[in-house]
Amino acid sequence: MLATLNKYRAAFSVGLQSNLVYRVNFAIRGFFSFFHLIVVFILWSAAYAGSPAIGGFNFPQTFTYFVALIVVQFMIGAFNEDYQISEEIRSGLINQFLLKPVNYFAYRFSIYLSARLVTGLLILLPVLVTYPLLKDYLVLPTDAWRLALGLPALLMSGLIQFGIAYCFGLVSFWLLEIQGLVILSMAIESVLGGQIFPLDLLPDWLFRLSQYLPYYYQMYFPVAIFTGRLNDPSAALTGLGIQACWVVIILAIGQLLWQRGLRLHTAVGG
Amino acid sequence: MTLAHHARIWFTSARYSIVRTLMFRGDFFIWALVEVFWMTVNLLMISVIYRHTDSVAGWSKYEMMLLVGTSLLIQRFLMGFFWSSIFEMGRNIRSGHFDFFLAQPGNVMFMATTRKLDPDGLMNSFVAAGVVIYSARQLGLHPGAADIALYALMVACGVIIHYSMLVLCIAPVFWITSAQGIEGSYFTLSEFSRLPREAFRGVANIAFVWILPVVVVSNAPASTLLHGLDLRVVGWLLAITVIWFTLAVIMFHRGLRRYTSASS
Repeated sequence: MLATLNKYRAAFSVGLQSNLVYRVNFAIRGFFSFFHLIVVFILWSAAYAGSPAIGGFNFPQTFTYFVALIVVQFMIGAFNEDYQISEEIRSGLINQFLLKPVNYFAYRFSIYLSARLVTGLLILLPVLVTYPLLKDYLVLPTDAWRLALGLPALLMSGLIQFGIAYCFGLVSFWLLEIQGLVILSMAIESVLGGQIFPLDLLPDWLFRLSQYLPYYYQMYFPVAIFTGRLNDPSAALTGLGIQACWVVIILAIGQLLWQRGLRLHTAVGG
Repeated sequence: MTLAHHARIWFTSARYSIVRTLMFRGDFFIWALVEVFWMTVNLLMISVIYRHTDSVAGWSKYEMMLLVGTSLLIQRFLMGFFWSSIFEMGRNIRSGHFDFFLAQPGNVMFMATTRKLDPDGLMNSFVAAGVVIYSARQLGLHPGAADIALYALMVACGVIIHYSMLVLCIAPVFWITSAQGIEGSYFTLSEFSRLPREAFRGVANIAFVWILPVVVVSNAPASTLLHGLDLRVVGWLLAITVIWFTLAVIMFHRGLRRYTSASS
């Protein structure tokens, strides 16, 4: 058991080091994300000029949602895990894992964790720098239940994020080029995950439908709990249940793709 | 080097790009779909916002759609005609493959930025134009031939400005070689072009309306179609087109002098 843990701790440490090499890139990326916040600020403050409340929320509440979205994105979002997996399959680098007592999913997940540790800490930098400008527009509710339910939601969102990227990466067993497919699904994820607008602003039936899809639990769900867009603890509990189901389903699909894909895989060269 | 000579080179490159696209039809289809999806995302956002408010900075829903449609139209043309070439230019400068363009029989900047055509981007310009036409219909606009010609001219100016911005975003590669993520700065800037000019206040107004051309690019053609000809707006757009294109040419050629190739 301990030996197994040590194995993936080593993978985590290697991942940490290789991600620290790109710390400046990640920091720049973080600052660019905050540029996006200027667009959000201008657009939504203009929309709020005509009506003090949109969907029952005031401007600071909506703006806080978008800030939290960016922070959470850097903490749990899958950045390029799908490409990395796809690259390893295409180039045959994956063969080395087939010959060693290493679980590929666990190995990849360890690296994902280390990468998010680096980006999650780096995103705090632009938050701190811009805080004096942002603080008048930030409102965070402080109920204890939000932390108790929000943290597990956040962890499961991470699993869903990684799980979806893992599945897309494994599609490379069948298709050589997954880039188009990934960006296509990114468009769907960004809308149904609540990155373009808070999902609660959708027509009611669509909002209710979205709660049964995995995208809702990828990003919107934990952010809504933390920023006060979801105010009913029992609804949040139900959400946690549905989220857990999606985690299991997505991980199962990943496992299935791995087993089926390996049957097709031809290791060429030495 | 005459205009006809460059036109001939361009047509040859365009023919090559189209033949190449026909070889990878699946890819073409997926990428065309990708662009349609992203355009839909933008339109969805507007529909959702206007479910809850009637006006954003004085622009009604279909006026806003027309603005976003115009911005998308300009961006599709940029994607179709220049994006791949300019994007690859950054990598080529880094890797030394840029030598290839220096040896070609034409202006280096022209050769390096126009070689690859993306038919999927061009196809989607029809979708973007469809959004503009649909919004204009919903607004009950009946532009005459002269209005449409003026709008087309202004969109062309917009494409030149976006082209210049993209070149300016990529050209630093000549100096700093590794410019991973620098292309992202263009996309961040282009996001501003989907916002109405009236929404900008204070510092943002100075930075994005007056100093950077990102807002005027889409607002000028859209407001001309909506409210008719305003000579000041047209003059402003023409002037910044000349200024930004000149800046891009100067920056590119300054950078070119720094290019030392990558020997191995």
